[in-house]
Amino acid sequence: MTEDRYPGYDVLSKQAGLSWNEATRRTIEQRLDIRQEPQFFDAGQWQTLGALCDRIVPQTGQRPTVPLAAMLDARLTSGRTDGFRRAKLPEQGEAWRRGLGALDAESQRLHSRRFHELSVAQQDALLLAVQRGDATCEAWGDMAPAEFFSHRVLLDIAAAYYSHPSSWSEVGFGGPASPRGYVRMEFDRRDPWEAAEALEADPDSALRAERENRRVR
Amino acid sequence: MCADVRANAGDYAVGDALDRPRATGGRAPDVFRVGGWVPMREFRDDEAVDFVIVGTGAGGGTLACRLAEMGFSVVALDAGPYFRPLEDFASDETEQTKLYWLDHRITDGANPITMGGKNSGKAVGGSTVHFAMVSLRFRPEWFRSRSALGYGVDWPLDWREMWKYYAAAERALSISGPLTYPWGPKRPRYPYRAHELNAAARVLALGAERQGYRWTETPLATVSAPHGRSPPCVYRGFCRFGCATNAKQSALTVWMPRALAAGAEIRDLAMAGRIETDPSTGLATGVHYYRDGEWRFQRARNVVVAGYAVETPRLLLASQTSRFPDGLANRSGLVGRNLMTQSNQAVFGRMEQEVRWYKGPPSLTISEHWNYEDRNKDFFGGYCWMAQGPLPIEWVTVQTGARGLWGERLREEMTHYNHQVGLKMVGEMLPDERNTVTLADEVDQYGLKVARVTYSWSDNDKRLIQHALDQMHESLSLAGATHLFRQEDDTNHLAGTARMGFDADHSVVDADCRSWDIRNLWVCDGSVFPTTGGVNPSLTIQAIALRTADRIRDLAARGEL
Amino acid sequence: MNSRGDQQVASLGGLLAVLTGVAVCALVASRNAGRRPTPPIRRHVSVPATRTSAVALAGAARTLAACVACDSAVEHYRGAFHNKSMWLPLISAGLSVVANGSGMKAQGGRSRSRRVVNQLALLTGLVGSGFHVYNVTKRAGGLSWQNLFYAAPLGAPAGLSLSGLLGLAAERLRAMPVDQRAVDSDGTDAAERAGRALAVLASVGIGGTVAEVWLLHLRGAYHNPAMYLPVAIPPVAAISLAHAALGEQLPVLVAHRARRARRWLRLTTVLGWLGSAFHVFGVSRGMGGWRNWRQNLLGGPPVPAPPSFSALAAVGLTALRLMERRKHD
Repeated sequence: MTEDRYPGYDVLSKQAGLSWNEATRRTIEQRLDIRQEPQFFDAGQWQTLGALCDRIVPQTGQRPTVPLAAMLDARLTSGRTDGFRRAKLPEQGEAWRRGLGALDAESQRLHSRRFHELSVAQQDALLLAVQRGDATCEAWGDMAPAEFFSHRVLLDIAAAYYSHPSSWSEVGFGGPASPRGYVRMEFDRRDPWEAAEALEADPDSALRAERENRRVR
Repeated sequence: MCADVRANAGDYAVGDALDRPRATGGRAPDVFRVGGWVPMREFRDDEAVDFVIVGTGAGGGTLACRLAEMGFSVVALDAGPYFRPLEDFASDETEQTKLYWLDHRITDGANPITMGGKNSGKAVGGSTVHFAMVSLRFRPEWFRSRSALGYGVDWPLDWREMWKYYAAAERALSISGPLTYPWGPKRPRYPYRAHELNAAARVLALGAERQGYRWTETPLATVSAPHGRSPPCVYRGFCRFGCATNAKQSALTVWMPRALAAGAEIRDLAMAGRIETDPSTGLATGVHYYRDGEWRFQRARNVVVAGYAVETPRLLLASQTSRFPDGLANRSGLVGRNLMTQSNQAVFGRMEQEVRWYKGPPSLTISEHWNYEDRNKDFFGGYCWMAQGPLPIEWVTVQTGARGLWGERLREEMTHYNHQVGLKMVGEMLPDERNTVTLADEVDQYGLKVARVTYSWSDNDKRLIQHALDQMHESLSLAGATHLFRQEDDTNHLAGTARMGFDADHSVVDADCRSWDIRNLWVCDGSVFPTTGGVNPSLTIQAIALRTADRIRDLAARGEL
Repeated sequence: MNSRGDQQVASLGGLLAVLTGVAVCALVASRNAGRRPTPPIRRHVSVPATRTSAVALAGAARTLAACVACDSAVEHYRGAFHNKSMWLPLISAGLSVVANGSGMKAQGGRSRSRRVVNQLALLTGLVGSGFHVYNVTKRAGGLSWQNLFYAAPLGAPAGLSLSGLLGLAAERLRAMPVDQRAVDSDGTDAAERAGRALAVLASVGIGGTVAEVWLLHLRGAYHNPAMYLPVAIPPVAAISLAHAALGEQLPVLVAHRARRARRWLRLTTVLGWLGSAFHVFGVSRGMGGWRNWRQNLLGGPPVPAPPSFSALAAVGLTALRLMERRKHD
């Protein structure tokens, strides 16, 4: 897995500082306080979803794991939508339930096992086929598999992962920024409250970056 | 009528703005102060006001302010909440989707439009609450694109008159821009100076210079020095998710406070469902709207629809009667037709240096070269491109959408976030009657028929996009970016669907935004654009609204209202 | 009305900030004044004007160096000291503050170390100007408004050179023989000529500072009418000072022009300190106010910059004293 490019950087270390306002603190607090049991999905869909999330965004680094399936379940429970539906896709909740079922059905058809029981390589191969639209079992109904994959699976799971502070720390994003914004706008400049990057070529820079990142407030 | 008619369903963490109307009891929120209020004049529903305006964005907000300042009685309805940015806005992409119009819609056609943040807003102030603040003027020739450039249709407006209203809008919005603008006829100096460039913006400048094109700082509606109660921009980079600094000069922070001070009433969380017309005279008599748990009816002498290119035709179509079976103002059959969006493709790449494009307004530099250059084009229309600064969710959506990435590859790509740069176009798409907004059979939370948005790109659109992608690719690579890739499928602003024109057969409204069919019904938003040009539309919408207000004052003085 | 109350709170905060600023400035100024020997010659005829002028000049050089030290500290910190040479003006200006402080005693002769430090300041300023020009021109856009506004300020390093020059001039004056009364063929003596040269230097310095203020206040869009003051008053002071120095040298005329120049120079002195107070208020208007000083001190108006006007005005006043020396001695 990708080595840590921003060693020791944690967006949450700024939580009490000037980069976060009250509204942001409440928002992120609510996001991190998430129930681990499904409300929207049934137990079978939940297993499939968990395995699917692991393939779309594999979480192998040292940073805390983001509960992707739970975040998606919470979103669907809340009823928050994209505000529109492509004519080729059913409404989002229905699309998800049907899509997860179809993924399992495809898996049964090809390997006589459920999706979450497949090997990682088998899962990836199956997902690639779905992405290309090479999925044929009738559980998809009138929903185009490729459309489901690109406009629901990728969109929703990736958005869930990159809405989590853990991912912000991972990519070196400054995170929430109000009332304090940024001052140094030039190339290769960072404010003391931004993530310091470790350079691949220079092993000492990882230590330096970590020292800087521990001081981020 | 319906169980849950919250403005936007969902688990938003902050504030009560979405739960119940704030602008009631003789006061409205003071947007510049946590928990603050300002006094607000109120009108009774059965009191026929001079103007009821549906929508408070770039068109409706501007018009409400000016008409109130001219002494008309004004009630402005907005389906969205009345936010106080300082207390309601989190620095968070997900939470801030509460600023978008997320009520149900259906999109189809060969190139379905992605609805949401880039082309809608549901809040007092409309989409200016979360727009990228890019405030550009049209190229003068676009107002007569048919006769001067050979495509689209001419506008019934003269660019010289528009130049005056652009200047007025720029002054009112304290636009921060360059001291001299490199394209088009002379314009006055922008009221505020251009912002400091971030590294992402410098990449555009480098590329353009090496291509031999001019570039400049993008004129932006966010102040570079204090103005009134707005502190200067702090370069926090969440511009498209609401400005929690109040540096942004939006309809919410500029026009609404002025409108309230002049005696207008703003009603938040008020969803218009139908315009009532008198069966005998055929004139509009007021608007049915849903607020605080019940349907109500505001009587008015004039109705202005300012709901933007989807909600405006939706309301006009939904208000059909036996006298107007195809919807209001629709004798020409053009209500809901000629929907235009703008091509918003991009080329992205990676720099050796750290760029950190999340800092500062996203589009600090621009090249309008291909808006003003007509030679060597195999297409009609123009486009500009601007520097980019997507936040993580928007960025991952590009990676999954444009490249279909997932798994290890996706996470690895994402770790280059701070080295990424991009150029994104705003391109002109040509009007086409087959691109439409119609009513579907499904209904929304208010029980109103939802809009079906149908869109397909024309061959000309595709050629323009291809040209732009090649140009941006060249520019970015000359600027020293590597790992280039193209985002080929993205669109943003909307226009059309209630176009203005010279006569009743070929347009919905006249140059004054007054409908040909019902003389006390007006449309004032981007819907009236006959063509859309290659720049962001908000400044033009506001300039037209300023002009419309002046025209209404003149017509009223002559007794022709 | 709530909004009015809010504005009251805001203006109260602003007032408080301004008062704090004034207090700080007054403190600094009074400390300066305390160290300065009581200059008016009428009371201490034994101290010659050249010497008191040397002391005053050293004081001005020190104030100017202090402005440069603070300003370059803030700006170069903002630039993350990415080039090690960005420490140089800090060191040089810091040394100048110390050295010229020691030059603010009437007693004692020239000092070699003071000379070296002031020469270093002169040189650092020149080299710095070169760096800043390079920094502006190498960027996309070259010599554009964007780069003039936001890249390294072209005029700023000249402040350090000016401080060095003033320090050196102070040394020269200090060394001028006390009993020198030799009047040249044109009816002036060396001290008067020095006074006129200093007047020209001060005029040019004020002119340069005005140019920089004009540029930066243009960047701020003159959003507050008070921002016009430093581009309105100091130019008059500079012109009337230059007029007194370069115009026809009839004693009556000189006296008249000197009186006028003095009035404007005193106004400029006050403006310098007031400017800092305004800038303290300006920082408080940024998002998060002074609590967010790590952003607003860097992004807002430069608090330490305006007193350079006061320093240069002091030079002008000293120059006038020298020019009219014979009237006093």
